[in-house]
Amino acid sequence: MPTAESVLRGLADDRATGALRLGKAGVFYLTGGRVTYAESACCPRAEDLLVAGGRISAHAVRQARQAASEQRPGGGLLVDRGLLTRGELEFCVLGAVLDAAFFLFDATGVRMRFRPEDRHWLGPQWYFDVTGLLREHGRRRAQLDQAWPSAELDTLPVVPLARIPAQQVMLTSLQWEVLVGADSSATPADLARKLGRPAYSVLLAVRQLGAAGLLRRPEPPPEAPPGEPPEAPPRTSPKTSPEAPAGAPPETRSRVPSGPPPEAPVPGAPAPPGASAPSGVLPRRAGAAARAGTAPEAGIAPEAGIAPEAGAEAVRPRPSPEWLPAATGDPTDVNLLIRLRNALEALA
Amino acid sequence: MLGIEECLTEVMAIPGALDAILIDQTSGMAVATGGGSRHLDAEKSAAGLSGTLQATLDGLAATSPTGTVRVNEMIITADDGHHLLKPLETVFDGPLVIYVRLDPGRSNLALARHRLQALSGRLITT
Repeated sequence: MPTAESVLRGLADDRATGALRLGKAGVFYLTGGRVTYAESACCPRAEDLLVAGGRISAHAVRQARQAASEQRPGGGLLVDRGLLTRGELEFCVLGAVLDAAFFLFDATGVRMRFRPEDRHWLGPQWYFDVTGLLREHGRRRAQLDQAWPSAELDTLPVVPLARIPAQQVMLTSLQWEVLVGADSSATPADLARKLGRPAYSVLLAVRQLGAAGLLRRPEPPPEAPPGEPPEAPPRTSPKTSPEAPAGAPPETRSRVPSGPPPEAPVPGAPAPPGASAPSGVLPRRAGAAARAGTAPEAGIAPEAGIAPEAGAEAVRPRPSPEWLPAATGDPTDVNLLIRLRNALEALA
Repeated sequence: MLGIEECLTEVMAIPGALDAILIDQTSGMAVATGGGSRHLDAEKSAAGLSGTLQATLDGLAATSPTGTVRVNEMIITADDGHHLLKPLETVFDGPLVIYVRLDPGRSNLALARHRLQALSGRLITT
């Protein structure tokens, strides 16, 4: 089955004018081979953005739509009546088209039909070539995955956590709108319509909020790793940020409590049977060091010299692998034990 | 009342303007370019500039006594010119950012700011 991309490229080469319907997913409108408008079922339309944002009234949109003709498209009418500036209309259409295209290019298994007589009532406001649209689609996809590479929250209702694991958060204005608008039943697409914001922007905000650990995540599937506390609450408790001095706003965006995979960090090559004695400490510290970005050699105790920091890091209460007893400790105790161990090793 | 292209033309008419880009702050996309930036990699510049603005907002929010921040204009003076970034709020999308780079020898920063302010009011009314 041809993809939307290939059909659109063909129409662009033919300098076609008309509308390409992708089943129920949406429509691309072309003018002389370039895309001038796009609508997706999961995105607010340009007029929805304007009306929901309170920029113009739904009545004014209806009037312009009824008065629109091919010679006098609705967009020009709105501008001529002084309801919008040309820049606003262009920027709004631009945003709506990129938004819709982002979702339309991902639509699969739809029946495509081109109707040369169809025009959009707003008329052409901004021209996109198909290559540019595809490039932007790729860039946005990458941006989304960079914010949080998991799609698990993309289509679920947005549920902010009643209590969050951080002590302080910094939000963008759109993240604020998403949190205020979330009613535990609206999905990101519903919120976009309700807030009058592009669906992609809302999706990005939701992924950022998800990465920051501010949203409820779906229950893990029943076949989750056995012997593992399901959500590992101790690790996200406020205590777990000894490195953030009280008062300094923790950068929630960079601190990603829910980022690392749920299973306990694989202790870099779990202590070989014959390795030195305190295997209860070594793998845990190796895990901590691995999170800090260094990859320690298994079996060596490279952190002997940096014991205080590494020790403090290592005592974060966190779920232990099932073959270790859960243990928490006062940093001073652990440091004392480390020094004791080092002294004993030196003696041996 | 201005369209996006006319807006860029007027930005480039500011004395000393070297290049200009209109940036969609949410996605970091170059909406339109003018002047010397037509020869640059506008996509890359736009992504970098939008990152610069975002980093500034993050940093200032942390610094501000209230924890919130609203940047009206950002001016960076560098060896290769004065970089001006002006975010324009819209009701329907993230901010649209006007970026212009000015020749340090030929430009008047105060005049440029005044012209940008006047332009932004004609491009977007809020």
